[in-house]
Amino acid sequence: MRYEIRVDGEMTEMLGKAFPELDYVVMSGQTVLFGLVVDEAHLFGLLARCQSLGLRVLEMRQAPE
Amino acid sequence: MAVPDKNGPVPTAPHADPRGDPFPRTQFAMPARPPTFLRRDRLAEHLDEALLTPLTVVGGAAGAGKTMLVADWAAALDGPVAWLTARAADKGCGTFWACLLQALRLAGVAPPIEVDAPAEAGHVDDALLTRLAVELSARDAPVVVVIDEYDRARDPEIADQLESVLRYAGRGMRLVLVTRTEPLLPLHRYRAAGAVTEIRNDELAFTSGEAAALLTLHGLHLPADDVGALVERTRGWAAGLRLSALAAQGEPDPQTYLKEFEADRTTIADFLVAEVLKRQRPETQDLLLRISILERCCPDLANALTERTDAGLILTGLHRENAFVEYLGHAWFRLHPLFGEILRARLRVCAPGLEAELHRRAAHWLRGCGSLDETLGHAAAAGDWECAAGAVVGDLAIGEIFTGLRSDDLSELFSHMGPEPRSPATDLVRAARELARCEVERGLCRLERAAQGLAGKNGPGEDDAPEVAAAQLSRALLEALAARLTGSPARAELAARAAERLRCEVPGRLLDAHPELTALLLTHLGATRLWAGRFGDARAALTTVVDSRRAASTAQAREECLGHLALIDYLQGWPDRAERKARAAVMTGDRRGCPLEPGPGLGYLVLAAVAVDRDELDRAQAFLDAAADASHPMPDPVVQAGRAIVTGRVLLARGETQAALEAVERTVVADVASPWAEAHTASVAAAAHLAEGRPETAAKLLEEEPGHEPLCLVGAAQAELAAGRPGPAVALLDRVRPQGRPGPAVTVRAALVRAQAAGASGDFATQRRLVAQALREARRERLRRPFHEAGPWLRPLLGTVPLSALAEGWLTPGPPSPGCPARPGERSPLPVVEELSGRERDVLRRLAEMMSTEQIAADLCVSVNTVKTHLKSAYRKLAVNRRHDAVHRARELGLL
Repeated sequence: MRYEIRVDGEMTEMLGKAFPELDYVVMSGQTVLFGLVVDEAHLFGLLARCQSLGLRVLEMRQAPE
Repeated sequence: MAVPDKNGPVPTAPHADPRGDPFPRTQFAMPARPPTFLRRDRLAEHLDEALLTPLTVVGGAAGAGKTMLVADWAAALDGPVAWLTARAADKGCGTFWACLLQALRLAGVAPPIEVDAPAEAGHVDDALLTRLAVELSARDAPVVVVIDEYDRARDPEIADQLESVLRYAGRGMRLVLVTRTEPLLPLHRYRAAGAVTEIRNDELAFTSGEAAALLTLHGLHLPADDVGALVERTRGWAAGLRLSALAAQGEPDPQTYLKEFEADRTTIADFLVAEVLKRQRPETQDLLLRISILERCCPDLANALTERTDAGLILTGLHRENAFVEYLGHAWFRLHPLFGEILRARLRVCAPGLEAELHRRAAHWLRGCGSLDETLGHAAAAGDWECAAGAVVGDLAIGEIFTGLRSDDLSELFSHMGPEPRSPATDLVRAARELARCEVERGLCRLERAAQGLAGKNGPGEDDAPEVAAAQLSRALLEALAARLTGSPARAELAARAAERLRCEVPGRLLDAHPELTALLLTHLGATRLWAGRFGDARAALTTVVDSRRAASTAQAREECLGHLALIDYLQGWPDRAERKARAAVMTGDRRGCPLEPGPGLGYLVLAAVAVDRDELDRAQAFLDAAADASHPMPDPVVQAGRAIVTGRVLLARGETQAALEAVERTVVADVASPWAEAHTASVAAAAHLAEGRPETAAKLLEEEPGHEPLCLVGAAQAELAAGRPGPAVALLDRVRPQGRPGPAVTVRAALVRAQAAGASGDFATQRRLVAQALREARRERLRRPFHEAGPWLRPLLGTVPLSALAEGWLTPGPPSPGCPARPGERSPLPVVEELSGRERDVLRRLAEMMSTEQIAADLCVSVNTVKTHLKSAYRKLAVNRRHDAVHRARELGLL
């Protein structure tokens, strides 16, 4: 499953390292994390990680393969 | 060091955690509020409603100020407050409830003494929760139970359990959940009933006025417009506001600085933490980054990570000046979770590779302080398996791999250990895990290697002498288990003697802290002695465990011991005693949930065996199925043999002789043969041969047995009698008497064989006397099976006076008592009927399903005539003439 998670604010490279399994692009005050998500447990884990890093999740969607 | 004292109340510190760690834990401490804490009246007032509703949920993002809000509110309460911070490491509801009970105890709300702590990480007894709820419901004033970071309590059962306790506790308990995610409790129902107080993220957000007050507390005075812009940028997020205040404090022109921040588009937390961090002195920055790997820290531990000596001053200073280092009392601190998380990400980037080294240092420091859980967590994170295994072994905690609250966690933890580390401790842990999975061969290899590793370290008086002794004692436990799994009594005795010697060499406090070690060792010793047929010695070891002090960690061992004691009673011929103990074993087992010990379901097996003796075959089958349900991939020899024997006896009683023979044919692999297992196996096989009309084969089979087992002697006598040789039969029975004191299950059978022999030689007076004796002995134990097995000669006798009076009510139907209708629910005693054969049963069962004779024939792949023959024979045995009556009667007798 490929997912995209859009969060508020531009992530620094340092914070990007907190998501080593995902790539990210920064665009106009937002950051899109994207990449392969192994399963639902992983997905919820990513959400929890966003939460514990104080990130505001704006959008999350499954990307077409 | 100087400990903050005027920053609100010093949190209460617990004396011990439920798992026996000697540390004060962050888990039960209500965090102290920092001096810059801003009390917001609108929230405090809303929170006051928590005293009116059973449930309160304070939910919001990380850093929204949830914990501090609730801590400030709770500290001002008059009544008792139980505070629990859930931990991610505590998987499973058992651990959760153990902690919550401890929190209640620390709040002075002592749960009743009979509320034992849960014994298993993944299970909690419903009865325990009920008793707790009842206890709470009886309170005059409610206890406020705060569970902070509730989102970490992952086990979905916890929500259900909390809900039920909350419901039954009524006015005695007010639950406050502080959580990042919505709890799984049925909130809609609480909302509909107005039974919940909810404070959500939006309400937690700072208003402009509050933000201005907060900034003033930090020494910043800004115009209203600027404050409004800041609130907009941070969306009123408490952590964001506090961090920006901290960052701006150090600036010559805070106003301009904050304007820049407002224009910046970086993610808020990341940006602000970086800003706050860069304003600290280098030593402080270094310390903050390093302690970010810890869940909590004290100055000494921080010094161990920084390799400096100034941690006490820095931590106290940090706590005084901002909200992100929280004080937990007794010189322990923690970083605000959000702050810690971002620092940890930063540490990975700034100093790659340092994280593992820090975990390793933390593990070593914590090991010296005896905090096993935390040591293990850090050692595993560092991949330092020698340290992790060394901590488990050195702490005498090896038994916890098999039993107790920590066993799941330990298994999970060590499942990540690769094959590389080669210390005796790692080998012992590997051996324990393999033996726990009953991989005996591999376990033995590891154990051997550990023994070799330890052999070189036996010099007394060395510094690590207690460590070595602990390792040797751990090894003795594993040896005893290996002995049990391989059925090797010599090995078990050797291990027990070694353990006895080593007990004096390890610190007494460790033995006290780990009662499960001794209990497991004695269980394995007892089970192995039982296998070897040394019932007296086995009983001694097993009884010690049953009589020992009750502790959650020994519950499983106690249950196993009860099961084994029950088996001994059964084997010695005392079904009533066996049943009582087996019931106790099964009940403790059911309370704990699924058993994972090597002797699972032994209690059920004994119950099945007793049920067969009483001719309650459906019950027997049900118990047997329950024993199989609880089955383990490879149980120990005692259970293997027990299962084969009981299965054989059930099949025998059902008339399925061939299947019974097959059931007992499976050989049990063990180092030494077990006298009782062989005797019972031979006895079942002989009975099967006898039933199929081969008395000579039966006699020969039992002749091969050593011959001192009463059961075999009785069986052999039966065979001799069937072969028409009453003389040798009586001679065999004469040898039964002197052997110990066999119970009724043996003596009743012996008396019946004697009676048959007496009848065969025409001595009917003796026969009647012996039958009367057998009836008297069997009546109390409701031993019906021996009378059914005895043969057709007995039946007419039971109808005569005075024998009929002795048999009435339990063996044969009692006299009709007018005016006293049979009580519903009570099963009428089974009358003596000739057993149906397996095939006859098959036919009857299909008859009961309304199948026609032709359909039955097709279904069983036999001819219609064969079915008719079976039916006729079944009709005769059931004393009926019609299909309908046959089914009805068979149901009545419990044959279907």
